[in-house]
Amino acid sequence: MSAVAAKPSAGGAMNPTAMVVGLVMLIILLAIAWKMAPGLGLMALIGIIIGGVLIGFGVHFVPVGGAPAAMGQAPGIATGVAMLAAGAGVAGLFGGAWAAEQGLVVAVVTGGIGGGLMMAITCMLVNFVYVFGMGIPAASGKVLKDPITGDSQPEYKSQGTEGHGLPFVSFVGGVIGGILGGAGGTLIYIELLDLYKVTLPTVLNASAANVLPVAVSAAGMFAIALFLVNAVLTAYNITGTIEGPHDPKFKRWPRAIVASAVASALCGLVAILIVVPI
Amino acid sequence: MSVKIEVIVGGVPHNKIMIAGFVCTLVCLYLSYLNVATNSTLFSFFGGLAAVAALIWGSHTIKVLCSYGIGTGVPSAGMIAFGSGIIAMLFATKFNVYAPIVAVILGAVIGLILGYLSNAVLNMKIPAMVQALTEMAVVGALTLMGFAVLITGSFTFAGLTTGSVKILGFISVPSYQVSFIGGGLTAVAFLLGAIAIQHPFNACLGPGWKQDRMLILTAECGFLSMIVAAVMSFAMVNVVAAVISLIVALVCWGYTYHQYILLSKRDAAAWLDSKPIPEMEGP
Amino acid sequence: MEHIVFGIGITALAGALATVAGSAEDTESNIGSQGDPNSQVQLAPQMGFVHRIFNKAVAGEPPAYGLWCALGAGLAWAFLAMQINAVLAIVLGCILAVFVQGVYATTAYLGRTASLAKFGQPVYTDILKSMTTVTMAHAFVAIFCTVTLCYLINAALGHPFPLPLLGLIWGITLGAAGSATGNPYYGKERQYQNQKFGAGVPISASGNIVRFAEAGERNSLDNGFFTAKFGGPASGVCFGLIVFLELWRTVIFERIAAGWGAIIVGVLMILVFTVADRYIEVWARKTYGPYTEPKKEASS
Repeated sequence: MSAVAAKPSAGGAMNPTAMVVGLVMLIILLAIAWKMAPGLGLMALIGIIIGGVLIGFGVHFVPVGGAPAAMGQAPGIATGVAMLAAGAGVAGLFGGAWAAEQGLVVAVVTGGIGGGLMMAITCMLVNFVYVFGMGIPAASGKVLKDPITGDSQPEYKSQGTEGHGLPFVSFVGGVIGGILGGAGGTLIYIELLDLYKVTLPTVLNASAANVLPVAVSAAGMFAIALFLVNAVLTAYNITGTIEGPHDPKFKRWPRAIVASAVASALCGLVAILIVVPI
Repeated sequence: MSVKIEVIVGGVPHNKIMIAGFVCTLVCLYLSYLNVATNSTLFSFFGGLAAVAALIWGSHTIKVLCSYGIGTGVPSAGMIAFGSGIIAMLFATKFNVYAPIVAVILGAVIGLILGYLSNAVLNMKIPAMVQALTEMAVVGALTLMGFAVLITGSFTFAGLTTGSVKILGFISVPSYQVSFIGGGLTAVAFLLGAIAIQHPFNACLGPGWKQDRMLILTAECGFLSMIVAAVMSFAMVNVVAAVISLIVALVCWGYTYHQYILLSKRDAAAWLDSKPIPEMEGP
Repeated sequence: MEHIVFGIGITALAGALATVAGSAEDTESNIGSQGDPNSQVQLAPQMGFVHRIFNKAVAGEPPAYGLWCALGAGLAWAFLAMQINAVLAIVLGCILAVFVQGVYATTAYLGRTASLAKFGQPVYTDILKSMTTVTMAHAFVAIFCTVTLCYLINAALGHPFPLPLLGLIWGITLGAAGSATGNPYYGKERQYQNQKFGAGVPISASGNIVRFAEAGERNSLDNGFFTAKFGGPASGVCFGLIVFLELWRTVIFERIAAGWGAIIVGVLMILVFTVADRYIEVWARKTYGPYTEPKKEASS
């Protein structure tokens, strides 16, 4: 995957009119859900919106360096942000789906921990490779001191680079991103699963036990699809690379919240309307 | 430190490809509806052809979008296309014979809103973004519908959620688990399409990009996906229908792959076998 | 009790399979040169450094491996639905998935190299012939191990997701884990071997990858043994730990405190890895020292 040259021009600015339009769209979508599928459907949509926002916000924490990171020229993980976040999120979804029958709260937290664990292991091994395989200490290019540990950064940056590896704040950011992403994805999955388990027997004219595989697969597939849509929108927001929560680009998160909320509401509404008789 | 992206021009204009792809896909999807008319699954292979037509259209849209330098890689465009497409497609299957039309309309609405969000809320301000995302969501929905038809023989919700399992080798029992949605084959179709739609532009990226080479590569990727989808269809449709799909896919794939190699030979700087690195005038 | 012992046995097997899969995935992506380090392989001819490296531009590793594993799993699922024996179904499914992977690899190399014709980069058909089969072989190991562990998770441990969906999930995670750990090792250490060890590549050196090997001109096959030294095992350990710990904490602890047992164990594991990471970071700062003293330039 080539690292396309970053887009110039309006990068970090916020567009107030667009944000307001986005919020209006959100309210319209919620109203449609309230009209067409009140009760269970509306609850599911709210859950999906919250899940989508968690994913969109969580992806901002994940430190991604892109192609320069693969050469030790920039800090972060050397993978694409959407797919790395998707990896953490689906690993969390895997754990959360397994715990689905133990209740909403337990399942969502389990999903979050699953995603966080995947990111913790990956980030630790990334630092392991940099330190023991390449002889390079971790250093950030955007701050003078690590916000959490207070370690100073500039003199550990090799000449001609923007930093390398994963400073501790990036590690923590990665874990938090994994937790939020896993939790968000699992929340979407559980909401859709509960809705489908109740409504599909009527739609397909079959017993609940028979219909369960369809409900599980459909809900799982939608959760992954919504995950990818939200992750890609966030990738667009940060224009591809971000060092972690200490990066100035992190301040762009309000835009992503609105975008994720509207996108999740829209896709969630369609997913809910599948089981509503029209 | 990346491949320089120049706005690439030349070849057949995008709107022509869009209209041709759109018409072809819908025609093929409706031709596959002959399955219902003849109460068989022999025409499932039209679903694969529909998917290929949609992919050709979609890959050109990705080329239009990514020529502007969106700041992330090309694969994410494929992911967002199919992420929004699958939701539109599954909803559209509720409408039986009108499913493809509903998929187009709903995909367009979703893509339009996603495009507006990207351009205005996320401030990307790319001229082609809204139209491109709209087209890609439609392409995603139609491609998935094509694969669904190829594998199961129909694009209705009932057809996609029921299958049959053989007990003792010959007694067929209806089962929800051996179905397109119930068995999770949506995941395979999703990724097959998502990789196939972005690969042609990603693989032909560079100053020497040529439109005909990219489009032939899209056809080749589409037929390759059709081969494996046809193998998967053996579990769901009649053996004769699956064999027809497989043969059509293999023949067309072989032809397009051969053409692609010939076009690459035409465009390459040199076509060497076991030769050393040529002497350049120095870096 | 027996149920838990059976679960632990399957977990251990799944963890071992995941380790092999991770290692094979990284080896395959380095031999084929995929993902972010591949941008250097693409940049080199533009800076005048023509090379004989395989240029496999098939998306990044997570979506690509998501596809191969989901495809292998989906085909295996279809064969299983046709009442074919499970082992045979998985093997056949993975063979077809690897065929697709091989075709994508060849079209990517041809496409990118033909598009770089302006800079004089030739298409080497002998690279195509020798590299593709090796890449496919390593990919088969990775895909087969992943699909098998998905099958075990679904059939033996009783996860609700069907096989293709599990294939997608673990394929993407495999690609993400292998890509994160293996890419910098290949990108910096192998491609820029001529740069001084112990520092990142300065931006001025972009594109100047190593093109001549110990004997003759370097090609991608030389990356196989190199990856097996460090990057491959590291990626294997990464993915193996992810699978093993995720399964282990669920199988043993999910019954305790109505699910909170597994959560608490998960939090403890995250803390352990955080401490380990902090230790590595501090060790590096102390042992390697800074690059620049105040006022004085010193190499690490």
